[in-house]
Amino acid sequence: MAALLELTDVTVRFGGLVAVDGVSLTVSAGEICAVIGPNGAGKTTLFNAVSGNVAINGGRILFQGEEIHGLTPHQISTKGVRRTFQNGGLFPHLTALENVLVGLHARVDSDILGLLLGTSAAKRAESAATARARELLDLMDIGHVADHLASDLSGGQQRILEIVRALATEPPLLLLDEPAVGLAPHMRSQLVAIIRRLASERGIGILLIEHAIELVMSVADRVIVLNYGKKVADAPPAQVRADKAVLEAYLGHA
Amino acid sequence: MLAVLPQLIVSGIATGMLYALIALSVTVGYRATTVVNFGHGDLVMAGAYATFVFVGSGLPFAPALILALASLFLFGVLTQRVFMQPIINGPHLSLAMMALAIGYAVRGGARLEWGSEVVILGRPYDQGAFMVGSVVLTMDDLVISGFVVALLLTLAIVFHITPIGRLIQAVFQSQRGAALVGLNVHAFHGMMWGAGAALGAAGGVLLGLLVPLSPDLGVYTLIRGFAAMTLGGFGSPFGAVVGGIVLGMMEKLLGFYVSTVFIDITAYLVTILVLLIRPSGLFGQRATVRI
Amino acid sequence: MADAPKSAAPATKAPPAWRQRRYLFWLIPLLLLPLPFYLGQYKQYVVNLILVYVPVGVGFNIVVGNLGLLAFSNVAFFGIGAYTSGVLALKLGWPWWATILPAGLMGGLVGCIAGVPALRGVRLFYLAIMTLAFGELLRWVYIRWVPVTGGSFGMSVPKASINVFGWPLPTEGDKFYAFLFLAVLMVVLTDRLLRSRFGRAFMAIKGNEQAAAAMGIPTDRYILLAFAWGGFVVGVGGSMYAALVGHVTPIAFDLAELILEFAVVMVGGLGSLVGSVLGAAIITAAPEFFREWPGFQEMLFGVLIVLVILFLPRGVASLLARVHPIFIDRYYRD
Repeated sequence: MAALLELTDVTVRFGGLVAVDGVSLTVSAGEICAVIGPNGAGKTTLFNAVSGNVAINGGRILFQGEEIHGLTPHQISTKGVRRTFQNGGLFPHLTALENVLVGLHARVDSDILGLLLGTSAAKRAESAATARARELLDLMDIGHVADHLASDLSGGQQRILEIVRALATEPPLLLLDEPAVGLAPHMRSQLVAIIRRLASERGIGILLIEHAIELVMSVADRVIVLNYGKKVADAPPAQVRADKAVLEAYLGHA
Repeated sequence: MLAVLPQLIVSGIATGMLYALIALSVTVGYRATTVVNFGHGDLVMAGAYATFVFVGSGLPFAPALILALASLFLFGVLTQRVFMQPIINGPHLSLAMMALAIGYAVRGGARLEWGSEVVILGRPYDQGAFMVGSVVLTMDDLVISGFVVALLLTLAIVFHITPIGRLIQAVFQSQRGAALVGLNVHAFHGMMWGAGAALGAAGGVLLGLLVPLSPDLGVYTLIRGFAAMTLGGFGSPFGAVVGGIVLGMMEKLLGFYVSTVFIDITAYLVTILVLLIRPSGLFGQRATVRI
Repeated sequence: MADAPKSAAPATKAPPAWRQRRYLFWLIPLLLLPLPFYLGQYKQYVVNLILVYVPVGVGFNIVVGNLGLLAFSNVAFFGIGAYTSGVLALKLGWPWWATILPAGLMGGLVGCIAGVPALRGVRLFYLAIMTLAFGELLRWVYIRWVPVTGGSFGMSVPKASINVFGWPLPTEGDKFYAFLFLAVLMVVLTDRLLRSRFGRAFMAIKGNEQAAAAMGIPTDRYILLAFAWGGFVVGVGGSMYAALVGHVTPIAFDLAELILEFAVVMVGGLGSLVGSVLGAAIITAAPEFFREWPGFQEMLFGVLIVLVILFLPRGVASLLARVHPIFIDRYYRD
């Protein structure tokens, strides 16, 4: 089966600094792939390269067999690569429902003229989107806070909301940037369950960055270790745990 | 045509010195607080009127000038501490509007008091001119350039040699570092805002030597100050000075050799083109965000 | 099970009950209809001026309040709208009603131009300074392009041209109905836009531009759209202004005018449609009362804006929202 996401020799330079150095990796549908590594190893830069927020200096990025490097972030998102952000990418001044509606943006078939004229087609499109957004919130058990501002939600609800929002358009690939940071233990296990469900039930390919090693080991099918921008390991969790290079680069400190 | 070139450059520099001073005065406040004082033009105007008031009360020009600058310094410190500091972490729009509104109130006050009369500050020296080769040097040019150069030299010495100057430099580099070494950052913000106001007021007095005072004196000067800042590189004190002088010369040269319309619009065009083409200006840092 | 929200501030919820009652807002223009029978010419003029500033405030608010960009170009949109109507009426002999749409379109076009620097990543104070320079440049064009604009003295809009489909509007009371229609139309259209995915996109860009793009929103296009729509609405306001005042001069579009327009959106409430309308009513009426003392209204505005920023940062609309939830603007937030 062809890989969903395929990176070949991807290199990103900031001035003289090589943040990502010739990294190749693949993510298949339904696979949970974790990227770990010490701070400054280039994990978030790699993510930004995939989502189009950072231009790559070498190599290529294929999504569903199509080159996506060089596209703008919104084009990549529209193609079906959705992401969450490390420090919370929610729109704090919008409600949970509205956040999901923004996630659905490309799926709302209301054109501007129809909206201005108040045509029933445009109204229908808007209310269908609203209904869909509520449904999505309910699916993840946060329907009861749909009309609260995102900034008023608890940390765990915010993380889940961000995932709901990213998934609103049913993308084949999801990039999660440190989804568990700052979460209480019981929320972490809930998050793990959600991530697993997305991969196994919906066949979504998931690439995630995480510092919490236990979470990574319990959720990931495959673990990719970065150190100084280079890939030093790419194997199932148990195997990575035993890898000497990994121990030196990362786990040795943990 | 080329025969007038030296003359144009000389008078361009004299005008540019004024812009340089205004640009520098905005830069001082901006570097300290990261807020651009959109009401700064009205403080420039207030400086000129304050000097006029003190001269009118019987003081000689020099002490009147010093008193006026001191008053504007105090006014700057006070407004920063009372009005700007409480909202310093608020949205940028509020900060811009707060500064603008304070300036607007000041302008209204000036119009209420002097709006219907012609106020002339008057020169404390004889108006005259010298010939140096083929170039005419007016006393106005000399006084303005001399004053600004002296002021800049003094500031440069204070900034680079005295302990206070080094402290200021340190804070310009890193605000958090400054807080760590025990500096009262709030007080510092106020002082710098005040210093900016006083410098701007000095610019207003120089301007008041040339033209009759009006409550709208400062507003359009400020736009030229902004243009000078943009040209030199936003936030760079050195850039503000160079940008001001270059802008002054550009106005004169373009105005003579290309079309007189450039006397009016050079500042606007410079602002727009520099920000579009090279947002960091001559000596500044990036002025745009990456999206 | 996800845990409970940190706080359940009632103002953040949009209870469906009042949403159904939005039609109540239609009562406001209906109740205003008999106004010309009670007001004299001058008072009616002030009311008409308020109606002019409704679209001006509403359009401005889209860019600074909803999109959250520090753009000082609103007066440019206002001016171009007024001049477009003026030139078409005076030079080409068009009736006023036919100039309204072109005025709006010119406002939208100038809005697009003013929005270009934002696409290049110019933000915050840089954008403010740049749009300020742009507005002043345009005003300079009004002054210098004498054959078309009439220069510093401006131009008069022929009285006969001020008609709607040939129906003349000789009195302030007649103009009132035309203006009320236009003001309501602009508010309704803007409301529709803001409550749709377009308005959500503006607010997403305001909240987190990167995240908005990651949600598949072409941020560039939406920034331009906000500027264009804002420019259109304000341009229509400019056209109304030309018809109301009867002459168009460059001085009407100077920096003092900019502060007046800022006062409208700040006092009303940033990002609030209801607030912009309220702001127009409060701010526009004020200077007319203080005509006798030049300078006094500047002081008043200055002090008023300072007080609002310090003590009522979300404007008068936030007071009204406390009175009844129906006044809570769905998109009226920080």
